[in-house]
Amino acid sequence: MQLYSPMSTTPKRKAFRAPPLASLDGARIGILENGKLNAEEMLNEVAQLFVERHGCTVRMLSSKSNASAPAPSPTLTKLAQDVDFVVTGLGD
Amino acid sequence: MAAVAPRIHEAPDDLLAAIDYCYEQGWTDGLPVVPPQVDRVKAMLAADARPADTVICHHPATTLDLSLHAAAVNAVMAGCLPEHFPVLVAAFEAMNRTEFNFHGSTASTGGSAPLLVVSGPLVDEIGMNADVNLFGPGNRANSTIGRATRLILRNVFQMLPGISDKSTQGNPGKYSFCIAERSRGNPWPLLCETQGYAKGTSSVTTFAGGGFCNVENHGGNTPEQILGSVADAMANYGCITLGQSVVILAPEHMRILADAGWTRAQAQDCLFGQAKRSVEGMKSVGKFRDREYDRQHDADAHRLAEPGFVHRGLGPDDILITMGGGDAGGHSCFIPSWSRGRSSLMQHAPIAPFPKKS
Amino acid sequence: MICTQPFEVTAKNIARVLGLPDYPFVKVQHPIGSCTLPELKARAEKAYEQALPILLGA
Repeated sequence: MQLYSPMSTTPKRKAFRAPPLASLDGARIGILENGKLNAEEMLNEVAQLFVERHGCTVRMLSSKSNASAPAPSPTLTKLAQDVDFVVTGLGD
Repeated sequence: MAAVAPRIHEAPDDLLAAIDYCYEQGWTDGLPVVPPQVDRVKAMLAADARPADTVICHHPATTLDLSLHAAAVNAVMAGCLPEHFPVLVAAFEAMNRTEFNFHGSTASTGGSAPLLVVSGPLVDEIGMNADVNLFGPGNRANSTIGRATRLILRNVFQMLPGISDKSTQGNPGKYSFCIAERSRGNPWPLLCETQGYAKGTSSVTTFAGGGFCNVENHGGNTPEQILGSVADAMANYGCITLGQSVVILAPEHMRILADAGWTRAQAQDCLFGQAKRSVEGMKSVGKFRDREYDRQHDADAHRLAEPGFVHRGLGPDDILITMGGGDAGGHSCFIPSWSRGRSSLMQHAPIAPFPKKS
Repeated sequence: MICTQPFEVTAKNIARVLGLPDYPFVKVQHPIGSCTLPELKARAEKAYEQALPILLGA
């Protein structure tokens, strides 16, 4: 019996990671928080450790108005342009 | 990027073995499915005149698309007949809107399931149930359309229980959550009429339903008493948020409102005004949030929002209320939104008529 | 990217679907929402330790 697959026919994606940083000294950090309880506080605490130990600066804090949707493209574009790495979270 | 051709699986000819094959592939909701045999899928696709590769829904989180073809495959698996297919298609066209956010409502620990409410002449045309056992079980159209919704979320969008569907306790509605609005004896305009569709056009309303709360009241005999008990259910500490609500009144309860001449708007106002908790009470259970209170009482606040209280929703229009269920029994229900705010808002879409045979 | 342990499978699944099945991420103790500040600081320290090799490609 021939059965059709019930899965999506969207082609599989290929993606690439950003290259690693040569150094963390003075790196610019972006924080992208998802609006969940303590998300901003937690990500801030992580960022502060990089500030204290590597002289990093927090360049921007972005908040997702909807935790379960991808961040808007303009937010991601700006982050990519203005920071060296982003601290973010998934889920609760 | 162009879609790839639908994949065909060579499964055993023996039907029982083919059912087992579907289980082994991980295609089911835990219950046996109808194997999506190619001729059955083609017959299902004939219920929509558009090309099979037409995309009807897109998943931003994964970038996966739902085509009519994939919808038809899952509809066959759920046990749908071709005449049920247009409802399923319209439901996903409604859920495709950003405001519905089907990813969030499915992935969340909050555990909601999309509630589908079908309204209009199609209800009788395809044999849906708006009567006794409204929420099931028993009716093929209600059961299978709701089930196909779940199978699509799982198989097409990969919202897999425990992996990408993180519902803490699940929800029985995740098997199937599809009802018809009752027109027989309904004193109010049907949803499809209030939604602005042309006469004769049926609609499906989709709502990220977080659960089901039976509201029993056999002693009340005024609208205020009946709606007071509903409002109390809406304001329970486990449910009270700024989210929307669905209230389905049993015919016994609706009769009381109709006899008193109450309109839908009066009922909505009554529910919104009464479904509230004091700020102190919210703080006592750790659920008070400054920014939510401010949102409800800002410059755009509804006139019925009372200072010092947190109401359910932002206004009476956040409450969809209509009638459904059997003639006997003082049992209405309240279904809270998964969203504790505005992360998912109910959507509706017209249901396309079944293509005429040429 | 930081997630708590119950969401580890979720993160792996979305990474796979988006085309980066081996995407490394930070895992901390659940929950976050009800944590006190000292508890958040402890989790942040663990996150920092895991983040270093990810950022520097070690």
